Amino acid sequence: MKTKSMLVAAALSLAPGLLNAQFDFTLFDKSFQIHSFASEGFAYSNDNNYLTMNTSQGSFAMTDGGVNISTQLTDKFRVGAQVYDSNVGQLGKWHPTLDWATADYRFKDWFGIRGGKVKTVMGLYNDTQDLAFLQTFALLPQSMYPLDMRSSTIAHEGGDIYGEVPLKRWGGLSYTAYAGQRQDSLYGGYPYLLHTFGISIQSYGGLVVGQDLRWRTPLKGLLVGASHMDEEITGTGTVELSVTHGPSFQGITPYWEKSNKDQTNQVYGQYTIGNLRVDTEYRRYWRDQEVFNGTAEVTTDVRTWYIAGAYRVSRRLELGSYYSRFSDNWRSTVPGQVEAPNQSDPSRHLYDKVVTARVDLTRYWNVKVEGHFMDGWAGTFYPDGFYQAANPNGIAPKTNMILVRTGWNF
Amino acid sequence: MKNSLKFLTAFVGIGIGSTVCAADVKIIANESVGATSISADELKGVFLATKTSLSDGSHVVPVLEKGGPAHEAFLKDYLGKTDSALETYYRSLVFTGKASMPKTLGADAEVVAYVAKTKGAIGYVGADAATEGVKTLEMK
Repeated sequence: MKTKSMLVAAALSLAPGLLNAQFDFTLFDKSFQIHSFASEGFAYSNDNNYLTMNTSQGSFAMTDGGVNISTQLTDKFRVGAQVYDSNVGQLGKWHPTLDWATADYRFKDWFGIRGGKVKTVMGLYNDTQDLAFLQTFALLPQSMYPLDMRSSTIAHEGGDIYGEVPLKRWGGLSYTAYAGQRQDSLYGGYPYLLHTFGISIQSYGGLVVGQDLRWRTPLKGLLVGASHMDEEITGTGTVELSVTHGPSFQGITPYWEKSNKDQTNQVYGQYTIGNLRVDTEYRRYWRDQEVFNGTAEVTTDVRTWYIAGAYRVSRRLELGSYYSRFSDNWRSTVPGQVEAPNQSDPSRHLYDKVVTARVDLTRYWNVKVEGHFMDGWAGTFYPDGFYQAANPNGIAPKTNMILVRTGWNF
Repeated sequence: MKNSLKFLTAFVGIGIGSTVCAADVKIIANESVGATSISADELKGVFLATKTSLSDGSHVVPVLEKGGPAHEAFLKDYLGKTDSALETYYRSLVFTGKASMPKTLGADAEVVAYVAKTKGAIGYVGADAATEGVKTLEMK
């Protein structure tokens, strides 16, 4: 796998020189556009392994990419699709997925519909979180956009209604409302976490209904918004039982878990003036779920926020920094799962201070160098980047990490 | 007092500079576009892909220049985005399936030629550019 990553990295470093424009072609009098992107990262941490990569030894296992094709069939109707693939430590594992595939009909500027597999609009960056070439940062604030939980929010199979309503001197409103089914990757952070408990997930997903409303305010450069999402999620698979009390028993039996309540609320703001951009978001995620075939219940109340700033110093250089906070309250009736008594315990929070330099080598090729200074690891019962399985000798309370990530797109 | 005068002079100077900049750009459209004028809000909406038609119902498709003084002035005065921010914005739409990358051309003459032959096309050129075969839209 390491050799494969090295080869991909080498290919990536050659590609930008070969590719410097989008690829267009015409078929049946329709113009088609093909675009693609890829990124490769190297992470090195002083102690804990992060995001299932072997970062304490230095890891190149951070690669992703995608390719899309789209066309405008009529003035109001467009179609397109994108395939995405990734390998990040033990996540993704080179299993390509259909990232989005949509048919989009815009009746009016204030009313359009799109259906198929649609990227989910939530907050500032949910639908673009995996497009590293768009971001200043090598990793977006992981409290809000966790790489290991990408597939749980990235898209839904269903439909959106959307539009832009001008408010004249009061700016403009953009809205999106959606409903559909979410289907998580079996190679994401949550299935990886459940392996720790002997659970092998075969299907994880369910109903998703949500809305996003954002207001372009009369103050030039200021955008504010709010998102809300309700979900009904069910996971099925198998659990490996190992009973050692009394007569020894081992076996595999069907497993299920489901959410009784699964809700996300998010508010956000962005201010741009000249070459400076400031983002801030707050999210509260509440989940009440039945686990272990309904024999136990876990409630989780996750609260996260971040503030980020980025300044483009020149055409080639952008500098950025953010402070990201993740904290949770949870209650479990699973034997042995006991929450630490207060939030100051490293198992109850994860705070990350980050500094980044992004260098745009060409219009289509960039390199980012980023330092992470993390306090806490937020426990082993929630997928938050630090996993017991990736850290068999235990997790230290603090982690420093340097991440170098290069990416191209055309 | 002296400092205040200097500040006032500089302030007025900046204002005049901006006006000159805005006047340096002409908005042009294909003859199929029915409108004869366009508001700054409409123009911004068209070039940020949130608007695909003008108030008269004409469908419009934006055309951009790759760079140059007209491009810089247009971004600053009408879109309020830097070149890299605009490119990032378009890519975010393209890679989430919400829009196509707009046509981008090298110079005023290329933009005029493309707009002249493309139904619904709308673009911008320098104020002194020859605009035969296209209509110039007044700013409301």
